Amino acid sequence: MPLTERGRALLERLPGSPSAGTAGLGCEILRHEELCVGCGACARDCPSGASRRGQTFDVNQLLEAPAGSRRGALGSALRLIMRQAPSGPIDVPLRVTVYRTILYDAEKCLGCGACARGCPAGAIEARAPHVGANR
Amino acid sequence: MERSIVAFCCRECAYAAADVSANARTPLPPSVRLILVPCTGRVSPLHLLSALAESADGVMVAGCLEGQCHYREGNFNAIDRVAFVQRLLESVGVEPERCRMFTMSAGEPPRFVAAVKEMNRTIQALPPLTRTQGDAGGARIAEAV
Repeated sequence: MPLTERGRALLERLPGSPSAGTAGLGCEILRHEELCVGCGACARDCPSGASRRGQTFDVNQLLEAPAGSRRGALGSALRLIMRQAPSGPIDVPLRVTVYRTILYDAEKCLGCGACARGCPAGAIEARAPHVGANR
Repeated sequence: MERSIVAFCCRECAYAAADVSANARTPLPPSVRLILVPCTGRVSPLHLLSALAESADGVMVAGCLEGQCHYREGNFNAIDRVAFVQRLLESVGVEPERCRMFTMSAGEPPRFVAAVKEMNRTIQALPPLTRTQGDAGGARIAEAV
């Protein structure tokens, strides 16, 4: 299947292509981990594989999640019974899909902002750098 | 102090087994509270943790034998969620034995009774689960379930 123009432009930005190392598509990606619900939409939409679902889960994400969210409810339940601060990330069984920490690799990121558009929780912010510079 | 155990029971097997054993007047430990769920796949980590946070000393999930789920793979989901909650509990210093999964078929009431008794023994051997006061978290947890 022939590539679309957009697809070719994205491929050129991938690591290993001749133009790799040049500035990405422009956006600066800011992740707010405490708002993340772990749905994996960013990993699904990411054209470069910079965002991925990990195999582990950082328990602090539950404790820091805002009240009213599902993770926040889990966090407040955990806070009632916990005896010590969480001892590092835990391995997640295969069929548990939403309680996973999303891995984000800034090196691979193209700055396209697809993850921010797809994020249902508003946990990803894509900022165009020149907007920041003008302020 | 009396301990309490919350048992989430699948309608197709564990609850049916419990029904038969109750009709035969087999005594169950008084600490156990049965909760009927359509399939153990309905039970989420939030159900298990909020039961522990509210007042239970232990939670158990009783579902169909592996490969015999009436909804194909609900019990596999439950097995992984229970394993997840156990790791979660372990990482915050709570005994992971407080959450356990059992499997049985509808035709095995003695196995259900044995599972409940085993869970009861485990929980009786552990100290009561202590909870930090305040936070008024209970209402919010209940809403989110």
